[in-house]
Amino acid sequence: MKSSLIRPALALALAASLAACGGSDKAEFTVAGSVNGLVYDDLVLTNAGVPLKVAPPATAGASVRFAFPDKLEYGDTYDVRVLTHPKHQFCEPGVPVDGLYANNADTAGRLVTIDIAIACRINEYTVGGTITGLTGAGLVLANGSTGGTYTAATPATPPATTPITYALPTVKFGTTYGVTVSKQPAGQVCTVVNPTGTMGDAEVTNVNVTCVPA
Amino acid sequence: MKSSYLRASAALACAVVLTACGGDDGQLLLGGTITGVTKPGMVLTNNGGSDYEIPVPSNGTGATSFFFPNLISSDDKYDVQVKSKPTNVDQCTLIQNTGRAGFDVNTIRITCTFKTQALTGTVSNLKNELVLVNGSDRVTVPAGATTFAMARVAQDAPYGVSILANPAGQSCTIANGVGTVGAADVNNVTVTCAP
Repeated sequence: MKSSLIRPALALALAASLAACGGSDKAEFTVAGSVNGLVYDDLVLTNAGVPLKVAPPATAGASVRFAFPDKLEYGDTYDVRVLTHPKHQFCEPGVPVDGLYANNADTAGRLVTIDIAIACRINEYTVGGTITGLTGAGLVLANGSTGGTYTAATPATPPATTPITYALPTVKFGTTYGVTVSKQPAGQVCTVVNPTGTMGDAEVTNVNVTCVPA
Repeated sequence: MKSSYLRASAALACAVVLTACGGDDGQLLLGGTITGVTKPGMVLTNNGGSDYEIPVPSNGTGATSFFFPNLISSDDKYDVQVKSKPTNVDQCTLIQNTGRAGFDVNTIRITCTFKTQALTGTVSNLKNELVLVNGSDRVTVPAGATTFAMARVAQDAPYGVSILANPAGQSCTIANGVGTVGAADVNNVTVTCAP
């Protein structure tokens, strides 16, 4: 008889503790994270169709924290994506510090906190144009000291009559470029039109080079 | 007696095979990215050997990815160091250059800085603000200035000083604006403005 009393008591205690688990202290998760490299306006993130605008940091170079207003419950999924890129930039889910993979989509509760990394970079475009009249070997164009060089292939004999299209390495939006003839081709002098400018939102294709006999 | 000879030779054969597996011919890549290679002479080593000279990237940026031609094996320790530097490199910083291979390794980051030289010149007859560029380096020269200084330039790098914006009401020309920086400062860039 003794054991028959103990069993119901145990069952009651178990039920009570289960009820406590299901009470009002339900775990809630905020979908939050940080954006690195944000410089310009108009970044909009989205989680399951809910948009969230993220403004650039007050201090240049700092990262920006964001948090979606709606809380998630344990087991809810989230999927944060870039809805609108900022002006002049491209943003995408990045790999967090000490992480291996992007962490923008997962199930709430698998990790203690949700801390998504979004990485932004400034768009960059090539600088180039055409080269006309090149007959000599050895033409090298340069964009300053750090913008890279373009070495023209030795022209065929007889030289092609159509202009050569060239492109120097990419330049970030808002950065200046200045193309000069670093080495003149054998027996010729080349000049550059539209050599300088500030990079906008498209490839530069009007830095044209004309070569004539020296 | 016969069987014991067999066993011994079988054991020997096993040992030979195992040694072969542990040799240099692994199956994993070892590499990463490096910056600052604009001329020959950048030699990397792994564990003090496997010397590998980084080919100079053709686009002049000095940045490239690299892999040692010698493959390494799973679980091999690696320790990549810079054995020798091109003459224009000041110093190199290595990140994630040591470890133990599990998969292909492409996480080594080597950043090399160049020895630099000053790039300066003179201006004459400048009546309004002039903007000069050397590629991404932008310098505003105020009215009345007689000298200007661009950012320092790496040794062996090309330079090309050109005009981004002429002064109001004037047109300027540049002499000695193009060249390649040697081991000395460049101070002969001459800007002349008219009228």
